[in-house]
Amino acid sequence: MTDVPVLDVRAMSKVYGAGETAVHALRDVDLVVRRGEYVAVIGQSGSGKSTLLNILGCLDAPTSGHYLLEGLDVADLDERQQSILRNRQIGFIFQSFNLIPRTTALANVELPLVYAGVSRRVRRERARAALDLVGLGTREDHRPNELSGGQQQRVAVARALVTTPALLLADEPTGNLDSASTADVLGLFDSLHRAGRTIVLITHDDEVAARADRIVVVTDGVLREATPATRAEAVGRVTR
Amino acid sequence: MNVVEVVRFAVAGLLANRLRSLLTMLGIIIGIAAVILLTALGNGAAQYIQGQITGLGANSITIIPRAAGGSAGSTSGASARPLTTEDAAAIADPQGAPDVAFVAPVVQTSVDAASGRSSTTATVVGSTPDYFPGSNTRIAAGRAYDAADLAAARKVALVGRTVADDVFGPGSTPLGQEILLDNVPFQVVGVLEARGQGGGLANPDQNVLAPLTAVQSSLTGYGNLSQIVVGARSTDAQAAAESEINSILDRRHGIAAPDDRDYQVISSRQLAQVLDQTLSAFSLLLAAIAAISLVVGGIGITNIMLVSVTERTREIGIRKALGAPPSAILGQFLVESVILSVLGGLIGVAVGTAGTLIPLGDFRPVVVPSAVVLAVGVSVAIGVFFGGYPARRAARLRPIEALRRE
Repeated sequence: MTDVPVLDVRAMSKVYGAGETAVHALRDVDLVVRRGEYVAVIGQSGSGKSTLLNILGCLDAPTSGHYLLEGLDVADLDERQQSILRNRQIGFIFQSFNLIPRTTALANVELPLVYAGVSRRVRRERARAALDLVGLGTREDHRPNELSGGQQQRVAVARALVTTPALLLADEPTGNLDSASTADVLGLFDSLHRAGRTIVLITHDDEVAARADRIVVVTDGVLREATPATRAEAVGRVTR
Repeated sequence: MNVVEVVRFAVAGLLANRLRSLLTMLGIIIGIAAVILLTALGNGAAQYIQGQITGLGANSITIIPRAAGGSAGSTSGASARPLTTEDAAAIADPQGAPDVAFVAPVVQTSVDAASGRSSTTATVVGSTPDYFPGSNTRIAAGRAYDAADLAAARKVALVGRTVADDVFGPGSTPLGQEILLDNVPFQVVGVLEARGQGGGLANPDQNVLAPLTAVQSSLTGYGNLSQIVVGARSTDAQAAAESEINSILDRRHGIAAPDDRDYQVISSRQLAQVLDQTLSAFSLLLAAIAAISLVVGGIGITNIMLVSVTERTREIGIRKALGAPPSAILGQFLVESVILSVLGGLIGVAVGTAGTLIPLGDFRPVVVPSAVVLAVGVSVAIGVFFGGYPARRAARLRPIEALRRE
């Protein structure tokens, strides 16, 4: 059981459009992520890394190839089952936070638990615990427009964590944050990693990438593992 | 994910846009209120008119003389023949008119009615005891004149409410007192029930009823009749009775074509028929107007729900990314539109019902219960039907497409 990788991508391609105008966002991508790994995906904009993350988060479907999440082929699941998968196995963190407007921080964090069918009392407890974990226990009644960017992203992290998913996916989580907030959020990821969570994040920032224990580079839809030798170079080149 | 949560999300969604929710509901409120008010109006008008017709006397047929050849430029030399006691006798003959139950010949004349104190102008109606059921006249106090009074030509009279008020004082019951009709003394034996200005012709409260023989001997002489009131054997026999009367009088008056008739047969049945047709056309018109306003309200809901889905596409995307199943999204938007339409429907019922409490002239609108049930049912159906399309569209969105939209 523990041998099953959290994430197993085999010969996956994603093509937008058809015929002459077809754009190959991903070409025959293979990627295995094991439990507890902290993987950074880097690449230039338009390289296909966001497409990869969206497919990993079950927000998008590949054109061909297989994607096994916890040993389960996502393509075999219908829409409802996929929504359960998104709810239980994946915590997604967006660059633009994507909190529900006009809704308190606590209610935002509770939301995945609502869809999971957790009772009101239990989900309030767990949402409070998650907010405490990201250091926002005192701000649970604030609405997104009353929070700073860094605080909003921390609420989003709490929301991604609250269902204790197998996999945390983050799409440039620090892209819209100042350096202080970036340090906050990255510190949070470090502690989650130490606690054994599996994290895949996309970034532009070499400092961010440097914290991960694995770096993969996406170039024109092709994925390459960065070896220790090429790692510094890969990071440097992408973020120069 | 249970129903309570879905409803909570829906309510939160509606409250986030209070003014818009209210305005959307207004469309349904107006539609439902219009349905209830307009059907109540039609119903009230129908009941009012039915009441007026039954006021004329159930099963009764009235024959009045008419100038011969109603058509313009009629030169038929035959001068109009008046209605006579012989005409009445012929109609009363069960051989010729088996569907006629009774015949009441009527003479009328305007007189000066007086007592020792004061006087007024009244209409003396001389007839037989059958006149009471035939004209739907009820007695408030005292008794009707009977066959013995008629046979003996006794000078007894029943006075209308207005006559009693004017001659004997307001609210009086002058039983046993003497009333002078053109200086001929009659004894008051009864007071008629007040009827108000009914059919719009003569005011029945201004009448004095007396036996035909007494009126003829002392006031009018043994001349022609003012009218003949005929009772049909039953409501169903009314049409047959009418045609029997027509054939008897046509024969007696020597009339070849119906256009040349020198008399006119008026029955509550004919009136009811004409009014029924008019009323059903009227009701149909009202229902059509109401239905149109309901449909407009429904389209308003669809429109707002579509706007709402489009505006909240990103939110839908976020919810899907967090694991909302399609049924939860569908449920949220469907419940939103059902809440709008049901709440609007209930308020519409309240507004419409309250509106019917306002009396309009002589008649009151009468709420049609089936219309209320139908209206509420339709408002729920509108919510599901008109809200269903936008809701399904929202549920089918792919998460990534929903998230990309701004």
